[in-house]
Amino acid sequence: MLSSQSIHADSQFQESNSTISLITESLTVTENDELLVGIKFELEEGWHTYWENPGDAGEGASVDWSLSDGFEASEILWPGPHRIPVEPLMTFGYNDEVVLLTKISSLKNASFPLNIKANVGWYTCKDICIPQEGEVSLVINKGDILLTKDSEEIYEYLNTVPVDFEQLYRIERLDDKFFLQTDIGEGKHYQDVYFFPKAYGLTAYSDDQNYEKNLNSFILEINASKAQLNFDAFEGVIEASNNEETSYFNISYPLEVEKAENNQSIILLLLFAFIGGLILNIMPCVFPILSIKILRFMDHSENSSTKTYKFGLYYSFGVILSFLVIALVLLLLKSSGESIGWGFQLQYPIVISVLFYLFIALGFMFMSNLVFGGQLGQLSSVARVNNESLESFLTGILAVVVASPCTAPFMGSAIGFALLQPGINSIFIFLSLGIGFALPYFILSVKPSLLAFLPKPGAWMETFKQFMAFPMWGSALWLLWVLSGQVDSDTVVMVLIGGLFISLALWLLEKNTSEIKWVKWLVRLVALAFVIFSVLIIPTSYSEKDTQSQEELVYSEVLLEQYRNSQDIIFLNFTADWCITCKVNERVALKTRAVKDIIKQKNIKYLEADWTRKDGDIAQKLEEFGRTGVPLYLLYPSRGEPIILPEILTEDTLVRYLTEIN
Amino acid sequence: MKKNLFIHLLPILFFAEVCYSYVEIDTKAPDFTLSNSSGEEISLSEFSGKKIIIEWTNHGCPFVAKHYKTGNMQSTQQFSEEINAVWLSIISSAPGTQGYVTPLEANELTLTRSASPSHVLLDSDGTVGKMYEAKTTPHMYIIDEEGILKYQGAIDDAGGRGFMFKDLLKAKNYIKNGLLELNKGDEITSPITKPYGCSVKYAS
Repeated sequence: MLSSQSIHADSQFQESNSTISLITESLTVTENDELLVGIKFELEEGWHTYWENPGDAGEGASVDWSLSDGFEASEILWPGPHRIPVEPLMTFGYNDEVVLLTKISSLKNASFPLNIKANVGWYTCKDICIPQEGEVSLVINKGDILLTKDSEEIYEYLNTVPVDFEQLYRIERLDDKFFLQTDIGEGKHYQDVYFFPKAYGLTAYSDDQNYEKNLNSFILEINASKAQLNFDAFEGVIEASNNEETSYFNISYPLEVEKAENNQSIILLLLFAFIGGLILNIMPCVFPILSIKILRFMDHSENSSTKTYKFGLYYSFGVILSFLVIALVLLLLKSSGESIGWGFQLQYPIVISVLFYLFIALGFMFMSNLVFGGQLGQLSSVARVNNESLESFLTGILAVVVASPCTAPFMGSAIGFALLQPGINSIFIFLSLGIGFALPYFILSVKPSLLAFLPKPGAWMETFKQFMAFPMWGSALWLLWVLSGQVDSDTVVMVLIGGLFISLALWLLEKNTSEIKWVKWLVRLVALAFVIFSVLIIPTSYSEKDTQSQEELVYSEVLLEQYRNSQDIIFLNFTADWCITCKVNERVALKTRAVKDIIKQKNIKYLEADWTRKDGDIAQKLEEFGRTGVPLYLLYPSRGEPIILPEILTEDTLVRYLTEIN
Repeated sequence: MKKNLFIHLLPILFFAEVCYSYVEIDTKAPDFTLSNSSGEEISLSEFSGKKIIIEWTNHGCPFVAKHYKTGNMQSTQQFSEEINAVWLSIISSAPGTQGYVTPLEANELTLTRSASPSHVLLDSDGTVGKMYEAKTTPHMYIIDEEGILKYQGAIDDAGGRGFMFKDLLKAKNYIKNGLLELNKGDEITSPITKPYGCSVKYAS
């Protein structure tokens, strides 16, 4: 011990089971230099003191420096901590001995000799904790650095102070777990890795962490803390150990902040929503309905130039009200914790099927002479309403319903953003969308003379109306394509059969001209039965197994050979249920929409070799590529040798590989 | 692929059923029954209609000792008394560990420290401590009139390194502030804070 004063304590909890001393790398230093000093804690065997984050209980030491003028002390350089479990809790600290280092900088105007005084408060703990306080001091003279015998120990501890982690790494949060994934290259092998969080409320201290070593990467699974506080970054220290040594690294990875960035001005958003609403009018889902409706103005304006604006008003009311209802439903779902974006409605097979029927029926109505209560293609006519104002209102609602599948692909992100806004703003955005949507029709209803450029009403209107059935059926076809991504082919056929019966029912109603009342009602009953039947066969959930077997094929050497011979591009995924890296890669990269799309688009054969149960063939294939375990991702170009993809996949890299391969 | 809404909801319902003991802010605080220092059985549910403050304590813990020595804990107790709230001090130290007391000793501690808890409850097998995931002494909880947990964490912001040098009466008292906010009809600003102190001395 170079120079240390004995501890004097004024706390009644003081016990003589620890000693502190102030040690230095050199007893001399010059101006404009740095000097490493340390507070050395020597604890009785079995006792410990704490790290900067003590874990569930306790507290790290604090040092209050008083230095001569012209000298500054750094923050404590905390050596890497150890786990000290106190069942059922977990604490982080140092057993038996530790040196807490501090860098002292001498400025230009440093006044020598340097008197260092450190007032130290710390806890010495075993099953109980004893707060202790002491003062240690040291005199440093002017001169070049001359290493003391304590310097060795100081450097030893300096080596355990965490340094920044140089490897690329990422933190993925999936459900209640954090995954730390990093590529460390083939040279390094860590037997164990453990993460110490910097602050309370990030990870669960006392839960075990799951470490998995791959060929040149590792993954660490860490449970999130139940008491979740908001953090901008995932910060802490990892302890990585192998036979020879234990290394400590600082980790700091930005976390996605849940709050939406509110930097886009609300005015601009409202404007975009308004323009979006205008554009919706010419979407294939909507245009036929509206154009046929508009043809009616021409009739009206022919007869009398009266109150067409009234219809426009009721129609607009129906549109805007529908959009408000949608906004409220979405907000309600959002507040119930469901993570939704616009287009979510197309994620339910039942919604898609019902829309499919609706489009088929509307197309049929345009094509045929099916007339309910006088006019075509209006929900109101189905409902047999004669009141024209109510009819216009219901047409507005219908327009929004048929527009909904068309809005999804074009406006998904915009509306998704609207939903991230505070409640009242997203309501205004939907309102603006509704106004934009209703406006063209409203203007025409106020001034039907604007339609003067159209030919005089006549037979062409019937032809036009029939032609408009095709965009309707085109939309139906598109919906079916969406549905085919969610359910198996048998179910798609069932929905098609439903479409057939809907058409049959409509045809029956059209031909139902019998004079005899009971025959008329019987036919109606049969038609109704067909509709009910069609509705009953609608799929209510995904048939996921089928989807999977369509998208990913089970690997076999024979199948691989076959695809190789036909010069297909092949993605071969070696995976296993127990492989954490595989599962994380699948969730963040492999099974994302963008990757699935490109696989579909380029007709890449996606083979999966599942090694959950040991399999000789798969093991042999792995061996061919010098592997003894999963994951292994192989990308076969149509000709030539396969590319081995990195063990850590991101959506971006995977999309890049898949785009470039030929 | 996104699953059906109901597939999402089902496990949540089951989870809620199984993990009845997990305490979460803005959910019902789990009920319990413990003996107080006078030997009466006391249940949390009998105080419904009143705000409840729960304090995990261990008189041998230097953190707790400082809060009592400086009068900080007592003044917080008086504050809660003035607004007609119930104060429960719970001791979860196992027999033979620091802080374990007999009912008689518990009453004596209350007297000598001029403390004014509504009840001192003895939880020597740690059941309630583990149910509430009490980690430190002190570790504080606030429950509102409807039995909903509104706060869990430290008594004040004096935690962190150098606690022993700090003036507790100048610290920001989370319990007093939280009770004030609740009384005004507001939500508590920081409903979760990091509890600090000694580990609860559970039987191992």
